[in-house]
Amino acid sequence: MINRALLPAGGGENMLHCTDMTVLERQRARIKWQQEQQQQFQLQQQEISYFTELADVFHQAGVHEGGLSEVVTRSVKPDPGLVDNGWNNDHVVGYGVGLPYNNGLGFELNYGAISRTSSCPPEAVAAVAEATVKGSESVVSDMISSGAGRESSKKRKVDKAVAEEDTRDKRIKGCAEQGESKITEKNNNKNSRNNNTNKNSNSNKENSDETSKDNSKVSEVQKPDYIHVRARRGQATDSHSLAERVRREKISERMKYLQDLVPGCDKITGKAGMLDEIINYVQSLQRQVEFLSMKLAAANPRLDFNVDNLFAKEQAFPACSINFPTIGMSSDMTNPAYLQFNPAQQQLVACCGLDMGIDPPDMALKRTTSAPVSIPETFLDSSCFTQTHPPPTWDADLQNLYNVAFDQGRQTSFQTQPFTGSIEASNLKMEM
Amino acid sequence: MSILERKKAIKLSADIALASTRAGRTCWSRAIIADASKDDDGKVLVQHLLSPESERLKKASTGLAMENKRVRCKKILKRSCCIKRVRKGASKVVLAKSISKRIVKRRTQVLKSLVPGGEFMDDISLIEETLDYMVSLRAQVDVMRRSLAKATEVVNGCAEYANKDEGIEEYNLYVREHDYMRKLMGNLYLIHRIE
Repeated sequence: MINRALLPAGGGENMLHCTDMTVLERQRARIKWQQEQQQQFQLQQQEISYFTELADVFHQAGVHEGGLSEVVTRSVKPDPGLVDNGWNNDHVVGYGVGLPYNNGLGFELNYGAISRTSSCPPEAVAAVAEATVKGSESVVSDMISSGAGRESSKKRKVDKAVAEEDTRDKRIKGCAEQGESKITEKNNNKNSRNNNTNKNSNSNKENSDETSKDNSKVSEVQKPDYIHVRARRGQATDSHSLAERVRREKISERMKYLQDLVPGCDKITGKAGMLDEIINYVQSLQRQVEFLSMKLAAANPRLDFNVDNLFAKEQAFPACSINFPTIGMSSDMTNPAYLQFNPAQQQLVACCGLDMGIDPPDMALKRTTSAPVSIPETFLDSSCFTQTHPPPTWDADLQNLYNVAFDQGRQTSFQTQPFTGSIEASNLKMEM
Repeated sequence: MSILERKKAIKLSADIALASTRAGRTCWSRAIIADASKDDDGKVLVQHLLSPESERLKKASTGLAMENKRVRCKKILKRSCCIKRVRKGASKVVLAKSISKRIVKRRTQVLKSLVPGGEFMDDISLIEETLDYMVSLRAQVDVMRRSLAKATEVVNGCAEYANKDEGIEEYNLYVREHDYMRKLMGNLYLIHRIE
């Protein structure tokens, strides 16, 4: 699916020797990875700092710092020897966000991508610093590289590779990783190599003007502003089509990454289908977040608020502080729905109904046939929220539904009909 | 504070915290922070959750907003000047290609509406942003699930959600997380009271 932009030069009789292509590919990929690796080091530092921040936000003091750094270092374990599996680290680096919490809570990640890399020992990180290890692109480093040298379709921009190298050199000087000197040496070797060869994989829009009408290679230019690409045998060589081709290849490359990430996309080829799956998956994730936040909101009012902790931050609002405890209490007292757990659950159901009535796309969830039937009944039967027996399978159903939705990532239909009728009634009862 | 408002506040704070993990480096995180800083509720939350580096982030977010306006104006101008070409070649292949192009275009539009700050990005960066956003969303769902499980566990008093081998450390962790939740809720209440 990924078409490489480069061919062996004089090609001649046979179009491609498969081995030649793969060697070239591998070589280029290796160069690219070694280039990206420097950024990864810097990113690790940044990631660690961000993780500690986030841990503070979410856990106050829950996660061990050592666990965090271990997680991060483990996450950047490269996968040597594999050309296309650079995406492993992307998964793991991304999941590093979730990992600190899970460490603290004793959770085990079951993401498919992580299982590939989590088994690698942390000391493999030292192997990263050694020579000739093939690193892999991470999403973040990819973004940095693309952000550093982002190309618009028609404009000439500074060479990505050069920009990366400059920033990388600066970072390497400031970085305190071990084995760094080795990497800088290799880097310098690579730089000279890169300048001598025209085997970069990015497009060149300027030099294509010089190409003759036959399918020869683009001429070498030593200027750092140009990115070189070679025209393929049997294809047009004007600048537009070259640029188009490179853009298409970039997109298809990233689509491939997405294919690994979205569950159930192995068999789908083509942009349209992939886009569809991606859209469904992102939508389902967003809906899950909404639903979970609603559930959290329902679960929390039953907790008594520790008044002491609250006003440590908000010193500027003393007036509210006096009112707050009473307000909190009174709202708890007056609203019988909050007092008991079962009505709270029912209230959650009511709120789901509300929310779905108000914003149907947000709350679409797969319903079994039993659930919608029972829920409206409980609404209509109760004049106030004192009915104590919600459908016993409701919560279990929710959990199952989450698992289903989570694993499949499918957009599922939801009938809002059963709920709309009861929305006004429940609304009134809710507000009280 | 009604449950809907609470839910909104929870979601907002979770989103801001999520964006802070990728703060400054990805477009969608900056877009989230920029949107949140527009209204008062979000501003307070942003200040609390992002206090160490809030200055830099805010500047980045405001810069992003201005840049987006520029991009939007350019796009409107371009679209108004564009003339649709009449498709003469009615061969099946060409037709199928044009149809698929339209489908892809429509779906990219949808994706742009889903990913925060996605309307102003070109195709390639859109896909990268989507990747990062997806991963972060997964993590967010995970965290929320876990905290919900712990919260309901204390409410239920049942061992359904608890781990079998819950030791003292886990209990302490849970208590701290509980504390965090209460603090979060408390902050949200306070914010509401200020309004």
